[in-house]
Amino acid sequence: MGEAIVITSGKGGVGKTTTTANLGTALALQGKKVCLMDTDIGLRNLDVVLGLENRIIYDLVDVIEGRCKIHQALVKDKRFEDRLYLLPAAQTVDKNAVNPEQMKELVLELKREYDYVLIDCPAGIEQGYKNAIAGADKAIVVTTPEISAVRDADRIIGLLEQEETIDPPKLIINRIRQHLMNKGDALDINEITTHLSIDLLGIIADDESVITSSNKGEPIVMNPANRAALGYRNIARRILGESVPLMSMDLPKTGVFTKIKSIFSK
Amino acid sequence: MTKKQLIFIKGTKEGLVLRLDDQCSYAELLDELTKKVSDEGFEGQAEVLLHLGYRYCNDEQTKEIISCVQQTEHLRVTKIQSEVMTVEDCNRRLLENQSETYVGIVRSGQVITALGDLVVVGDVNPNGRVVAGGNIFVLGRLKGIAHAGSSGNKDAVIAASWLEATHLIIDSVVETMTDELTVLSEQPEMECAYLHTNGSIAIDRLQDLRLLRPNLSTFKGGS
Repeated sequence: MGEAIVITSGKGGVGKTTTTANLGTALALQGKKVCLMDTDIGLRNLDVVLGLENRIIYDLVDVIEGRCKIHQALVKDKRFEDRLYLLPAAQTVDKNAVNPEQMKELVLELKREYDYVLIDCPAGIEQGYKNAIAGADKAIVVTTPEISAVRDADRIIGLLEQEETIDPPKLIINRIRQHLMNKGDALDINEITTHLSIDLLGIIADDESVITSSNKGEPIVMNPANRAALGYRNIARRILGESVPLMSMDLPKTGVFTKIKSIFSK
Repeated sequence: MTKKQLIFIKGTKEGLVLRLDDQCSYAELLDELTKKVSDEGFEGQAEVLLHLGYRYCNDEQTKEIISCVQQTEHLRVTKIQSEVMTVEDCNRRLLENQSETYVGIVRSGQVITALGDLVVVGDVNPNGRVVAGGNIFVLGRLKGIAHAGSSGNKDAVIAASWLEATHLIIDSVVETMTDELTVLSEQPEMECAYLHTNGSIAIDRLQDLRLLRPNLSTFKGGS
């Protein structure tokens, strides 16, 4: 029996879908069997980020309404043999097409076959959110170092804490720009964690190549040299139970002067 | 057979005490009271203390009794004493006087309500709301909304280890923590908010609470 992890944030645009795609890929790279589930019915895009858009035949609503079997709807990512699958959301109906009970059943069925079921939650706290968390055992809250995102994360953590079947949520801080934090123009990691007071699962540096790789349909985590990719890989290892220290956010210093300085300071 | 007397009138320094029988029927009592008040021929102005004994009277009945006594302009009811109260009243009074404890963080969108005092062990985050009929004590950072004395208690206070609330409400007085007020309390550590005699909410050091609200301390004795 695998475990189902919902990835949520409250606010939109903080990187839930990107995080889901990358964590799923990272777990698959570690040899786990992973199913990604897009619950953003009506506004699906996990398939796009994974580059699987044009291979969708059936979707989540088709499964729930009995128009197809689960395995017919699952889209296999061929880059990872048979370790990474996607259950896409429907695009033609809205979030009220399914209810939490049906979702619970569906997730339970997927958990039997996969080590991890990652559920990509839509923004907001309405029906879509309720559907997404229905079958989850664990929750990951994604936020960015912005007040608005942190406020919404606080709200969502409050709601998740009231769910008795879900473990206490863990936090991922996404899009960290170290130079803004150093100047004090953005909330720093410590401030965010003390304010939300939940366990920090990991931090992800802000990196433009995350966007470009999403556009190409290749999760950034496949490029091991990237800093954001390293963040996602570390989080995947922490999910698997390893203890990995938080990565340093400082950019490697380059330039003649810093090099000379480092020689003298030896 | 002489009828048992249902109403005893006694004169004291403070005025008349009317002790009403608590075993007879209510209608009987009201009859007797009407008779007695009109027969007796009172003079001057007397203040009356009504003693209901172990009879339970609801608000309507109490009003009826008062108006019955005040038929004559010589009598004025100043006080009503009763030895009984309903279970409902009793429970409410217990709840109002008890202090409830919430352990955890009051997060955005959450509302914690207590009829009496409220002790929060943890932070109150922005947009979190704590409401209490009595006082509010926060062992943590109060960064949200606090409403003390919600049932009309003007003496209620809000005390926090770190008072940075966005809104403070006592009774029905609302104070938004504008920059001005935050400047007044430069150090938000260990502070309390209370309703000043001028009608607005004031913030002071926690140490001053002892002088501001001496009744807050229920601890008796000590050496």
